[in-house]
Amino acid sequence: MEALGNLLLGFSVALSPVNLLWCLVGVFLGTVVGVLPGLGPAATIAMLLPLTLKMDHTTAIIALAGIFYGARYGGSTTSILLNIPGESSSVVTCLDGYQLARQGRAGAALGIAAVASFVAGTIGVLGLMLVAPPLARFALRFAPPEYFALMTLGLAMVVFLAGPSMIKALLALLIGLWLSTIGIDLFTAESRFTFGQAKLLGGVDFIAATVGIFAIGELLVNLESRAGAELFKVAKGFRNLLPTLQDLKDCRFAFLNGSLVGFLVGALPGAGATVASFLAYGLEKAFSRHPEKFGTGVIEGVAAPEGANNADAGGALVPLLTLGIPGGNTTAILLGGLILWGYRPGPLLIQEHPQLFWGLVASMYVGNFLLLVLNLPLVPLFAQILRLPYYILYPLILGISIVGVYSVNNSSFDVWVMALFGLLGYLMRKLEFPAAALILGMVLGDALERALRQSLMMSQGDIMILATRPISGTLLLLAAVILLMPAARKVRSWRLDAIERAG
Amino acid sequence: MIKNAADLISGVCLAAFGAYVLSAASRLSYFSEVGPGPGFFPFWIGIGLVFLSFWLMLPSCLPRRMAAKKTERAGWKPTGKALTAWLAIIAAVALLERIGFGLSFAFLTIFLLRGLEQRPTLIAFTVAVGLAAAFYAIFTLALGVRLPAGLWGF
Amino acid sequence: MKNTMRLTVAAATVAILFPQLSWGQDFKPSKQIETVVHTGPGGGSDLFARAIAEMLQKENLIPQRMQVVNKSGGGSAVAMSYLAEKKGETHTIGFFTGVWVTNPLTTAEATVTIKDLTPVVRLVLEPAVVVVKADAPYKNMKDFIEAAKKSPNQLRQAGGSVTGRDNLMRLLIQKATGAQWTYISFPSGGERLSNLLGGHVQMMVIEPQEAGEQIRAGNLRVIASLTEKRLPSLANVPTIKEQGIDVTIIPQARGVVAPPGVSRDVVHYWEGVFDRFTKTATWKQYLEQNQFEDGYLKGPALAKFFDDLTAQMRDVLKEAGAKVVR
Repeated sequence: MEALGNLLLGFSVALSPVNLLWCLVGVFLGTVVGVLPGLGPAATIAMLLPLTLKMDHTTAIIALAGIFYGARYGGSTTSILLNIPGESSSVVTCLDGYQLARQGRAGAALGIAAVASFVAGTIGVLGLMLVAPPLARFALRFAPPEYFALMTLGLAMVVFLAGPSMIKALLALLIGLWLSTIGIDLFTAESRFTFGQAKLLGGVDFIAATVGIFAIGELLVNLESRAGAELFKVAKGFRNLLPTLQDLKDCRFAFLNGSLVGFLVGALPGAGATVASFLAYGLEKAFSRHPEKFGTGVIEGVAAPEGANNADAGGALVPLLTLGIPGGNTTAILLGGLILWGYRPGPLLIQEHPQLFWGLVASMYVGNFLLLVLNLPLVPLFAQILRLPYYILYPLILGISIVGVYSVNNSSFDVWVMALFGLLGYLMRKLEFPAAALILGMVLGDALERALRQSLMMSQGDIMILATRPISGTLLLLAAVILLMPAARKVRSWRLDAIERAG
Repeated sequence: MIKNAADLISGVCLAAFGAYVLSAASRLSYFSEVGPGPGFFPFWIGIGLVFLSFWLMLPSCLPRRMAAKKTERAGWKPTGKALTAWLAIIAAVALLERIGFGLSFAFLTIFLLRGLEQRPTLIAFTVAVGLAAAFYAIFTLALGVRLPAGLWGF
Repeated sequence: MKNTMRLTVAAATVAILFPQLSWGQDFKPSKQIETVVHTGPGGGSDLFARAIAEMLQKENLIPQRMQVVNKSGGGSAVAMSYLAEKKGETHTIGFFTGVWVTNPLTTAEATVTIKDLTPVVRLVLEPAVVVVKADAPYKNMKDFIEAAKKSPNQLRQAGGSVTGRDNLMRLLIQKATGAQWTYISFPSGGERLSNLLGGHVQMMVIEPQEAGEQIRAGNLRVIASLTEKRLPSLANVPTIKEQGIDVTIIPQARGVVAPPGVSRDVVHYWEGVFDRFTKTATWKQYLEQNQFEDGYLKGPALAKFFDDLTAQMRDVLKEAGAKVVR
C-alpha cells in the first residue's frame, strides 16, 4: 500500500531527534496555551513564526502543528477544574466536566479527556493519512444549504441541553441567537444592535461571553453560600484520581462519536471545533441510555466533546494540506507560515513535498502519544488545585478570567463584556435558565443565518433548495428526527405505562 | 413556589426585551430582492421571545397556581452578597485601565476576602499581593502578554 | 555667564516640554514598535505586516522589533480608533488597506477616517484577477458576460463584504456591460474558494497569489486581470480593458499610517526606512513572489491618493446602493 510506504517515510522523518524534540516543545507549549483562556493557539503560532524562519521547514511545521492540537488537550483542564473554558471548543466540556469535579471526580474527568483526546487525535491522523484527498473533494460538495442543514442539526441539540424546562431552554437559545446578530451584517454592511459602540461592530467576543457566563457566573453563585464551605471533595489516592476501567468502557461510543464528528466537521472550511463539540455532545446524549443525567456529571459528556475538538484538528488539516484552503484562524496562520517559508500550499503540495506532509502526519501520531504521556501523570497534580482553600481559589479564578479575556484583544471592553455576562450567568442560574442553550445560540446563530441567506441567494429565493439537495436534505431530516425524539420517547413511555397498567 | 414569581418577572422582562428586538428589527430591512435582509432574523427572534415569554408566564398567572406560592424568601438574601461581589468586580474592571491590573486585582481580592468573606486582614492582604505578583510574573514577564498597566507599569 | 546659563536652562526646558521642537534631533525608535493591524492572526493584513517586519529586520533597517498587535473588529473600525487614541505616540504605526478608506464611509460607528490619521507610505497595490473553474465553459470575460446576459441573476460570484473591492468591481462591470449576476458574501477566503471549486458559484475575484497554486494544479482558469497592464506572471491573460470592458480599476492598496499628531521627524524617519527598503533585493523578491505591484508612494502624493480614493469610493458605494454615512 502506497500510504504505508509514505507513512514509514513519515515516521523516519518524525522520529529524528530534532523533530522529536520540537514536537515535544510544540505540544507542551500548546497544552499550556490551551489551559489559559484568551491566549489562543493562533496568536501563539503567530508570535513564534519569526523564530521558525531559521529552522528546517518540516521541523517548524511539526512544532507549530503541535501547538495547534496540543491546545485542544489543554483547553479541558480549566474547563473541568474551574468552569473556565480555556478555548471556545472547551465550552461544552464545562457542562459535565465541572460537575464531575464538584463530585470529587475531577481526576476521572481530566483523565478521560486526555484519553478521548488521544483516541480522537489518533483517528483524526488516520483519517488525514487515508482519506484526505477524497474527503476534501467530498467537503467541496458542501455549499450553503448543507451548512444550513448542519447548523440546524446543531440547533436541534438544544433539545438535549434543555433540562427540565424546554421553554426556558428555547428562550435562552433565542437570546443566544440574538447575541450572535450583534455587529455588522455581512451582506448589507449595516450594523445591528451595536448601540453606537465601534467595539461591538465585530460582535460580542465569544470568549468574553463564555468566561463571563461560566466562570464569573458560577463564582457569584458560589459566593452566596456560607464562607468556609469546602466546595470540592478531592478523592485521595492515586487510583481514585484516574478514570476507572468502567469509565473507559462507558465511553466506548463517545470516543468513536467524538472522533468521527470532530474529523468530519473539521474538514469543512468555516465550521469549527466548537460546532463539532456541541454536535458530539448532543449525539452522545441522543443515543445514551441515561440522557437525563447529562449535565449533572456524566463521564461520556466529557469524552465526546473532548474527542471532537481533537479530531477536528486533524480534520482542519485536510483542506489545508490537500487544497491549500484554510478552515479557520489557526489553519490560516499555519498557511501563512507555509507561505512565509516559501511553500505554496495547494493541491500539488503532497506530491511535491511528500516528506513535509507525511512527516507532519507521522509526527501527529507521535504528538498525540506524547500528549497522553504528558497529561495523564499531571492529572492528579492538577486535581490538587481544587484542594486550594476557597479564599485563594476565588481570586485565582477571577484573575485568570480577567487576564485571559483581556489578552484576547488587549481590550478592557471585553473585560466589561465578561463582567456583564457574569451577571447574566448568575441570573440565569438563579432563575434556572440553561446557559448551555444560550451558548449554543451564540455559536451557531450567525453561521445559521449566513447559510440561510446565502442559500436563498443561490436559489433566487427558492427555499426548497434546502430539502432537494441530497446532503442538506439528509441532515435536515436527521435534525427533524432528533427534535421529535423527546416526543417519541414520551409517547413510548406512555404506551409502556399503558401496557403495564393493562397487564 | 418561588419559581412562579421568578418566572413571572423573568417572563415580563423577556417579553419587554422581545418587544425591543422587534422594534429594532423593524427598522432594518426585512426582505430585499436578493433574499432576507438584516432585519429578517432578529424579527423572528423577537417574535419567538415574546411568544415564549408569554407561555412562560402563563402557569404563573393561572389562579389555581397562586395558592401553591409559598414564598421562600430566604432563597434571595444571599443574592445581595453575590450582587455586592459583582459590583466590586465592575468597579475593578472600571479601574483596570486607570490603575493597572495589579492594583485593581489586589483591591478586588482584598474587598472580597476581607469585606465579604470576613477573613482576617493579613490573609486577604497576602493573597491579594501574592496572586497579583504571580500574575505579573507569569503573564507579563514570562509570557510577554500585555496586561493593563497603570501609572507604575504594572 | 549668567545669561548663557539662563539661555541653556530655557533651551533645556523647551526641549523637555516640547520634544517636537527639538531641532537637529532625528527620531530613532528606542523601544518596541507597536504595529497595529485590523485582522486577527493569520489574516491578510497580519501576514503582510509580519512579513514586512521580518524583512526590515533582516535588512537591518530598524533598530527595534516591530510587534504586531491585532485589533480586529468592525472591519477596520477598532484598529483605526485604537490608533486615533494614541495621539502623538511615536512608537506606534498601523498597516492600512482599502478597507480603512471605505469602512468609515458606510459605518456610522466607525468615527475615525483615514484623513484623521497621519499617512506615512503606500507600499503595494494588490492586483486582482477573475477566475472560474477550469472546466467552466467561459474561456474569457466576454463568454462570462454573454452567459450572464442570457440568464440574468442566475450566475453567482463568491466574494467578501458587499463594500469590498470584489463587489464594487462587479457593480462597475455590470454597469458597463449591462450584464447582471448575483453576489454571495462569504466571510473567509477559504469558503469562497471551496464554493468555487465545488461548483456552487461560477466566478470569483481573487488575488493572484491566493489562486496561484490552484491555477498551477489546473483547477482554476483566469479569464481576466483587473489591472491596467497585464500581470508579468500571467502574461497571456488579457486585462479587462483589453477585452473591451472599460471600467475604472479600483486599487487595493496596502501601506503604513501613524497616529494623528505625530511629528514630521517620525514620518521622515519611516520614509527614510522605506526608501531604502523598497530598493532592496529582498523587497523585489517579495513583490514577485506575492505578485504585488510596487505602489511606493509617500508625502503629499499619498495624501492626495487617499483623498482621490475616498471620493471614488463614495461615488461607487452610492451607486451600489450602500448607505453612505460620511
